[in-house]
Amino acid sequence: MISTKELSRRGFLNMGAAAGAGLVLSQTGLIRPAHAAAPLAPVKAEEALIAFGHTGPTSDEGWTWAHDQGMKAVEAAFPGIKTTYVESIPYSADATRIFRQFVSQGANMVFATSNYGDFLYDVAKRAPKVGFYECDGRNPLDNLGTYYVQHWYPTYVAGIAAGAMSPTGKLGYVASFPVPSVYSGTNAFLMGARTVNPNATLQCISINSWFDPQAATQAGTALLDNGCDVLFGIMDEAGYLQVAQDRGKKAVMWNTDLRRYGPDAYISSIVVNFNDFYVKQVGRRLEGSWTPTYELLPMGGGVDRDAWGATVPAEVAAKADAVRTKMMTEGYSPFVGEIKDAKGNIKVAKGQTMTEQELYHWNWSIEGVSGLDG
Amino acid sequence: MDILAGLIQTALLAGGVLALAALGEVLAERVGVVNLGVEGLIALGAMTGIAVVSVTPEPWLGMAAALGVGLLAGMIFSLATVVVRANQVLAGLALTYIGTGLASTLGKPFSGAPAQATFARLDIPVLSDLPFFGRAFFSSNILVYIIFLVLPLALHYLMFHTRHGLNMRAVGENPAAADAAGIPVLKMRFWYTSIGAALAAGAGGYLTLAFVPSWSEGVVAGRGWIAVALVIFAGFRPINTVLAALLFGFITALGFVGQARNWPVAAPILAMLPYAGTIVLMILPVLAWQKMRRLMAAPEGLTQPYFRDER
Repeated sequence: MISTKELSRRGFLNMGAAAGAGLVLSQTGLIRPAHAAAPLAPVKAEEALIAFGHTGPTSDEGWTWAHDQGMKAVEAAFPGIKTTYVESIPYSADATRIFRQFVSQGANMVFATSNYGDFLYDVAKRAPKVGFYECDGRNPLDNLGTYYVQHWYPTYVAGIAAGAMSPTGKLGYVASFPVPSVYSGTNAFLMGARTVNPNATLQCISINSWFDPQAATQAGTALLDNGCDVLFGIMDEAGYLQVAQDRGKKAVMWNTDLRRYGPDAYISSIVVNFNDFYVKQVGRRLEGSWTPTYELLPMGGGVDRDAWGATVPAEVAAKADAVRTKMMTEGYSPFVGEIKDAKGNIKVAKGQTMTEQELYHWNWSIEGVSGLDG
Repeated sequence: MDILAGLIQTALLAGGVLALAALGEVLAERVGVVNLGVEGLIALGAMTGIAVVSVTPEPWLGMAAALGVGLLAGMIFSLATVVVRANQVLAGLALTYIGTGLASTLGKPFSGAPAQATFARLDIPVLSDLPFFGRAFFSSNILVYIIFLVLPLALHYLMFHTRHGLNMRAVGENPAAADAAGIPVLKMRFWYTSIGAALAAGAGGYLTLAFVPSWSEGVVAGRGWIAVALVIFAGFRPINTVLAALLFGFITALGFVGQARNWPVAAPILAMLPYAGTIVLMILPVLAWQKMRRLMAAPEGLTQPYFRDER
């Protein structure tokens, strides 16, 4: 009944804690409250306190750094507003204590930048006057919204460039855990690569961490030794990019612009930007119109490919960008059947388009991706 | 063959952190002081190395600074455990938290930036061009040769082939007897524990200047604890210690290669290999050969503070 694949990016460690009712809810996906919640009362900017609970250090140059930029955007947009944050919150009862601390400090709005599940849910339930948001969350409340990014679209675009720049067609992926963010990343990347290189394959190595530069370096080396020539992954740092740079290979990254670590190897990055989202939601909270939303930020509005690396040929960039433009202007989705899983079973019927929720909860490898399904 | 050569090369590169930190721990434990602050010391050294090369792009200077900071932190630790005779386990844990916290706080300005200077690959004429061996053993940076060749041999000679080394071991085994024989117990403990701490911080310098050329909070990721465990695994002997680090690095790398080559073993099992292997290698030799138990035993006086008036 309980499959690790149902758990989300960063939510993996919640497995133990989610054993109760939360898990049942999370497996059914997003459940909206049955009745429309009344908006929370307005607050003056000078009196408001906005709190951020981070999963990593703000200095990680990755995921948490991007959220920290969002906090700075809020500070700039609402002069006089007070903010507070706590870094590296563990996925344990400590998280509950920290979120409760935010509430007792008088926070009007609390953003959890990772999936803290029940640790956050319990706090939100007891603080109905406070607005909560949980990144990649699954259990909403009248005062608890969720948000995440549709990273599969820019990943597909980057995959096109990667496929064009891979002479062997062997792509490598440094994975954390077999969770939906990883599946949607690997699958979208390979689908993109196959549009230019139909025989491309993707080999994954899981290192059981979102942040372990030593392990990511070793995993990247093993992938290159095994014949891969373009690396991708979902790390919060640049370890495997440096390996690719040293070995004269290529890499696509996550979270932020990391080209300074490997200017020749850098193809692009799946960059996230939560600034507008944070500013908008804090604005709604201040003016008294805030009710929770359940958002998957689209490409161009929270997630995108980074500016192409210096060694990406112009025609490759143009080819990938043409698809990106089509996605953004025409709503084009490449995730259309027939799609087979790694065992050859047809999972998406011919002509059927995967919904955003299906993409968000993707938990199987497409044919050509190996190393994730064990 | 290329795969095996690559395996050995990454095992050497990744094992360097463990080997250097573990060698430092051997020094401390041989004189009877267990230092559980290794994790914090590596973090301090890693941050110091990056900070120094960001000002002066000279890797040797960064490494020297890391060693110096480690020596200083080690002297504070020795003051607490050897001179004041505080509980070694608690003081060590405190050192881990202080080191990790200080490194993340002081390291904020340097985090996320690539190292301005690193120890580059050192090509050795003829040897580096050998098929297989060239890639496996002779395409690393100079620190790898120092850590895996020079240091363990020198320490082995010092510990087991000199009078001074005999004294060292006596201090660790039975400080009271050593004291009676006129060996300066506290002085010996103080300095070897401090030098050991310097090597642990040096492992941090190696980490950011030669292996993962950037600093960020959490970069040590628990390797300090593994270094402490390797010392026990290696029976408190310098040469065995670097071999154990190499073996550990090799099995870790093997897990990644196994995933890359789609061996029909689940990834979590492959990730578990180094730890499972450690347990097996700890048990098997003792089962096969009873004498191993005595050979692998910890110094008798380990963790025992020495009070002369209780002699």
